[in-house]
Amino acid sequence: MNLADLSKATLSPTVAPISAPGQGLIDAVHAIAQGPLKAQVEAIDSGLYPSELLKALGATGGMSAHLAQPVGPFDYGLAIRAMAEVSRVCGATGFMVWCHAVCGLYMQQSGNPALMGEALQRHARGERLGGTALSNPMKSYAGIESLLLKATPVAGGWLVNGALPWVSNLGPDHYCGAVAGVVNAAGEATHELMFMLRCDAVGVELRECPSFSGMEGTGTYALRLSNLFIGADDVMANPAKPTIGRIRAAFVMLQCGMAVGVTQGAIDSIWAVEGQLGHVNQFLEDRPDTLQAELDALTERVMVLARTPFDTSTEFFINVLDARAHGAELCLRAAQSALMHQGARGYLLSSDVQRRVRESHFVAIVTPAIKHLRKEIARLSTEESPA
Amino acid sequence: MRPAASDVDLALALPPYLSFICDACGYIYNEAEGDVDGGLAAGTRYADIPDDWACPLCGVTKADFTLYQAPSLDALRAQLQGRRIGPVASRRDSAGVVIVGAGRAGWQTAEALRALDPDLPISMVTACLGDVYDKPQLSVAMARGLSADRLVRESGADAALRLNVRLLSETHAVSVNSATQTLRTTRGTLHYGHLVLAHGAQAALPPSMPAPLCWRVNHLGMYLRLRVALGDVKANGAKDVLIVGAGLVGCELANDLALGGHHVTLIDTQVQPLARWSSEQVGQPLLAAWQSLTLRFVGGVTVASLVRKGPGYQLSTTDGQTFDADQVIAATGLQTPSRLALSAGLAWRDGIAVDAETLSTSVPRIHALGDCITIDGRSSRFIEPIARQARTVAAAICGAAPVLYAARAAVVRVKTSSWPLTLH
Repeated sequence: MNLADLSKATLSPTVAPISAPGQGLIDAVHAIAQGPLKAQVEAIDSGLYPSELLKALGATGGMSAHLAQPVGPFDYGLAIRAMAEVSRVCGATGFMVWCHAVCGLYMQQSGNPALMGEALQRHARGERLGGTALSNPMKSYAGIESLLLKATPVAGGWLVNGALPWVSNLGPDHYCGAVAGVVNAAGEATHELMFMLRCDAVGVELRECPSFSGMEGTGTYALRLSNLFIGADDVMANPAKPTIGRIRAAFVMLQCGMAVGVTQGAIDSIWAVEGQLGHVNQFLEDRPDTLQAELDALTERVMVLARTPFDTSTEFFINVLDARAHGAELCLRAAQSALMHQGARGYLLSSDVQRRVRESHFVAIVTPAIKHLRKEIARLSTEESPA
Repeated sequence: MRPAASDVDLALALPPYLSFICDACGYIYNEAEGDVDGGLAAGTRYADIPDDWACPLCGVTKADFTLYQAPSLDALRAQLQGRRIGPVASRRDSAGVVIVGAGRAGWQTAEALRALDPDLPISMVTACLGDVYDKPQLSVAMARGLSADRLVRESGADAALRLNVRLLSETHAVSVNSATQTLRTTRGTLHYGHLVLAHGAQAALPPSMPAPLCWRVNHLGMYLRLRVALGDVKANGAKDVLIVGAGLVGCELANDLALGGHHVTLIDTQVQPLARWSSEQVGQPLLAAWQSLTLRFVGGVTVASLVRKGPGYQLSTTDGQTFDADQVIAATGLQTPSRLALSAGLAWRDGIAVDAETLSTSVPRIHALGDCITIDGRSSRFIEPIARQARTVAAAICGAAPVLYAARAAVVRVKTSSWPLTLH
């Protein structure tokens, strides 16, 4: 028996104990998470890419609830709850669900028939897997770094060159959404192009990354592009900025599923030792009931935001960024507290708690990291005025 | 259909499998699963475990195991509920007071609190530097030749030192969680014992006037940048300045910039300036007094658009007039930002609704004063009440004898120095 967890029967069945629409989907995701995913979680942490599990999750609709009909019910709250069920057991897989989900969002929002229709349906069902290379462009738009990919117009499309570090949920036959700065003949940047980057295309090289401290099975590679040709069929947005502006809140909001799930997993681990260690754990801060109350309030806040994922107002986006930051901070506190509650047993290398501490670090540093979120909120909160 | 007899026999014959927990490390031995790596086949009963068997995690022997029954989560929760001793001194008790905003309302609150309690922890969160200044001076600074360093009475850092306030300058307050008594900011989360919202109001811009194209004079920072943009009349020549909105702020600024030597055009939707006080009939004499200045008033016009034109700007009105200017200032009124209040669940009526006498909001431990509040749905964005409001809030926080606030009709002295006037 896994000592970081109580037996299944004693745990509350799902993250959000409601019989809301989509409960059937949540139950199906829950069954995969608590069954086959739980059995593989250590292997995934140390490098196994769970391709079959992701496909199984896709088949339940657990990676496409945010997409509109015919592929999904357009329910961001449901998508976030499903991601939380996965992340509660395995943060790495929860992260890959997010990668795949936002890739689906890019395809759906592209308006490009070649990326919608059958292609999007296969993506939604998890038959094809995809990721996102938007960390760099998102940071570029927030003024944190410059664009790493360059696109040069050629007959019928563009040639893209450059390298991106650390793009996740990739594989030899996967794809991801990416953004390149378009340069004209004079070498001046004119605008940005968002496109579908296919890992098996000519000119794309996937390079192994150095070892991470955890979450190794996320299909994370460095991408090197040399004269990758992008034609009309793979254009997601040209120019990219209006599309990015429209989807940025949804992009960030979906990540809340990871934070909520990892936090819930940590709280589960605290309850798991309460019977034996409650008599000493009572002297700790961040006890499970107070953490749960804070998590429930945050989840409720996220569920309200999830009703209007395409609200483009600045105030709404600040609220989304703040909820995401709160999620990351709560995740760190809960994982740390779980370790304090479990004591030596949580310090075992094989302990779920130990893994979850590393997962919580990931939630806090993956783009947008806590520091990026705060910087962006500060930028958006500053009154504009003439220069 | 009845189950097969053999299944029933088996179920009756065998006692249920049990679990045993290692008292040293928490490893749980489940009889059904056994410990295959340790040589115990699935189904090995605890009693049948040899004495030399070792816990696979920590190495102690079976003597250190006790019977384990997974507790129900509900029972654990109930146990915790009944035992709310408070493990550590709750952070919120020692958190003191957090003030949002470092304008007059914020600093007056800090002064009043410090006067009542020399030891109370006070933190102040402000998007600006927190410098102490008198906002009314911004309406007369040019004519009086007040430079930036003379407008600042005391730097934020100095005031914080003098009052023993922890000042978080250039920090944005983002949201309030009243259940956990925390304020989220762009530099981290603060716990509060009491929260004072003194963040004031913001310029309300009509959609036809984009923020990057026009100045607003509602705080020192932007005013000083406007002064830099206008430059010195003697050195750089007079500028054409267009002011939209002929209320108090618009009239005072127009008057001051004209006295400073600039060419000012003041426009308004109403046909006379200070039309809000039409019953006092001050518009006409004010216009007469302005005749000697480089100040022109154009009434009865509505802004249609504002765009860049060369190094300056062009404003068009709905009746087809166009105005070119080097700088454009919007004095089109104020609105209270609602995000903080709404995140805290505060009652809202065009501003933070507070009790008329105690200035408490609808949520315990959250107080508000200054330009961001409304009493019975009305805001009062004047200077005079602020110090009295601060004493009311401070007394409530410190548990001193209540100081009830009394709203009074404001007497407004309009600092149009060419024809100073008082409005009631």
